[in-house]
Amino acid sequence: MKRIRFHGRGGQGMKTASRIVGTASFLEGYIAQDCPVYGAERRGAPIQAYTRVSKNPILERGVIVHPDITIIADETLLDDRTANVFQGVYGGTITMINTHYSSAHVRERFGISGKIVTLDMTDIVLTQIGKPVLSSVAAASASKLTGMVTRQSLKEAIVRELFSVDIPKEVVKKNVEAALICFDRTPDIHIDHSEPMKEDNTFVKLEYSGPYLGTPSTYARGNTVLKKTGNWRLFKPVIDHERCSRCRACFVHCPHSCISLDTAGYPRIDYENCKGCLICLEECPKKVILKKREVREW
Amino acid sequence: MVKEMLTGNFAAAWGARLSGVDYVPAFPITPQTEIIEVISKWVNSGVMDTKFTNMDSEHSMITAAGTAAATGARVFSATSSQGLLYGCEMLYAVAGWRVPFVLINVSRGLSAPITLEPDHNDVLSARDTGLIQLHVETCQEILDTILMAFRIAEDERVFLPVLINMDGFYLSFTREPVEIPGLDEVREFLPEYRPGHAFFLASKPMAQGVAVLGGSVYSYFRYQMHLASSNALRVHNEVAAEFKSIFGRAYSAVEPFKTEDAEYIILMTNSFTVKGKDAVNRFREKGIKVGLVRLRLVRPFPFQELREYLRGKKALAVIDQNISPGSGGILYNEVTSALYHEPNRPGAVLSFIGGLGGKDISLAEFSFILDEMQKSVETGIVPETQLLYTEQDMKNMNNFLNIAGKG
Ligand code: SF4
Ligand code: SF4
Repeated sequence: MKRIRFHGRGGQGMKTASRIVGTASFLEGYIAQDCPVYGAERRGAPIQAYTRVSKNPILERGVIVHPDITIIADETLLDDRTANVFQGVYGGTITMINTHYSSAHVRERFGISGKIVTLDMTDIVLTQIGKPVLSSVAAASASKLTGMVTRQSLKEAIVRELFSVDIPKEVVKKNVEAALICFDRTPDIHIDHSEPMKEDNTFVKLEYSGPYLGTPSTYARGNTVLKKTGNWRLFKPVIDHERCSRCRACFVHCPHSCISLDTAGYPRIDYENCKGCLICLEECPKKVILKKREVREW
Repeated sequence: MVKEMLTGNFAAAWGARLSGVDYVPAFPITPQTEIIEVISKWVNSGVMDTKFTNMDSEHSMITAAGTAAATGARVFSATSSQGLLYGCEMLYAVAGWRVPFVLINVSRGLSAPITLEPDHNDVLSARDTGLIQLHVETCQEILDTILMAFRIAEDERVFLPVLINMDGFYLSFTREPVEIPGLDEVREFLPEYRPGHAFFLASKPMAQGVAVLGGSVYSYFRYQMHLASSNALRVHNEVAAEFKSIFGRAYSAVEPFKTEDAEYIILMTNSFTVKGKDAVNRFREKGIKVGLVRLRLVRPFPFQELREYLRGKKALAVIDQNISPGSGGILYNEVTSALYHEPNRPGAVLSFIGGLGGKDISLAEFSFILDEMQKSVETGIVPETQLLYTEQDMKNMNNFLNIAGKG
């Protein structure tokens, strides 16, 4: 059995990716199982999805604790402790990260074991599809790494899955093209050993912890207004203040309240928290907000 | 200290006033209304220095109570019946937030059919919410229990809201002499609230009642709630001992009445236990060794105490003033499971449903219960759950069927 775990942010298409791999494996004649796990239902929140592919009936369900393949579709998750992307990774795991950095850089920065593969999937989809949706390309990479899925089944699975969620034909076509590029660029390496899941058999007796520890409250950055969310951004909105009419449309429409007005009434963007949704750009009647692709160093 | 004729509702209002509560979010419902009316008058006239808000529903009321408690305010509220059910979704939430406050439920049967008189399906529907549950017998006990409840709720070993149940009409609108303790004595027992652990502070952003993914975090917090509730038994007993030393009145998690040499025990909760005690006295006059056990603490469930009082008895009868359709009495199930591993448990444990919707439990009914216990001991056959319903009850029912055009 091959166990694949996808990590992404809400809206990037990881659920669909897990389904595409499920369908593709199914078309190859394997027994497959796929499922997502949601958090708070909003765009940008870390999510996981899972696909299991096997020759025999699958007697497992739910969370994949020890993945054979992990696909990390959003590099900013690497630094987010709540996303827990390296959880349960063992010596045999292949970790595929969507980044322009080399695998050596990732290994050095995060000190993880196992095989690391990197590929700038975002670049591929922006060129081929024009939008940062990663479902097909993430599925393509995962399919290649299983060594069990052919190009043909991958293609067929993308068509089936994207049609089922009403994606227009020409967009599906672009997705297939992007996916095949990704499939070809993903190295042909495979899992050489799959470790059996180690079950923890030491049980603890929970003692009463008192209200500070024993209540579901968070004082850390993790879940509060202190958490800076601007690092998720793919595109940075930049206002041309020379041509801005101070109509306030952007200020009113920013769903994250990231735009404030300065003393002269000009809109100012809080880049610490702007997630790059580009609604301000859509709403600006004078079209004086531009988008700029951002690639961060880490 | 003064002694006055007070209704249960009035006694509850006094309990809140003496406790020096900071905030009362309220929504009126019969037969709880008087509690809210009295408190609002007191707040209006200035004798109670409390913030009072009339809410749009019980759901909002429980939410307001929980959030205010999270800031470190001492909070009191009261509801009844359908109102408690309407707020039930939030009961789970506020218990999960682990915030201390005191909520009175004035028991009233649940629709349908509609009644305004008590049984305990309303309060027992909140059995598994995480709130501590205390069930009281007299108007005095309401006032006293409110003072004790704040001590239990605010104890760092518990930190959970406390729900106190009192019967509608049988206590809520029933007057009897109640001792109103002086504020000095009360402050000695229940000082002003200085929360060691308030969650919400303007100076410190944080998230309360957060989302957790992955079952291990969720399991941890749920189990912490269980441990907190279990701790409440010990805390209750400590608080009761201190209460006795200051006010002279003794309360225990399980209250025994003439149980020591008893062969037969009747187990009940709430205000109808006075009728049970009267019946026990009459049986005793005839030389029959009967006793009564009142369950005062329902959550946490006082397993150990209960086993001690019931050990070695010939028979036990549980009177449930509630009904779990398709199963029987809720407390019967809890009591029998508590006794399962007691080697010296009562030879027979019988289940009766009585006092539903405020229906009286007469001496004849207690005699019937005693007969059934004795029969079971002789034959070894324990009957299925029985409804306490007499021929006279059936006659009344037929009368109403005629009125309804069904005769
Ligand atoms: S892109 Fe514009 S609308 Fe979106 S979060 Fe940033 S400032 Fe707000
Ligand atoms: S919407 Fe455009 S024109 Fe209006 S204030 Fe914002 S940037 Fe200026």
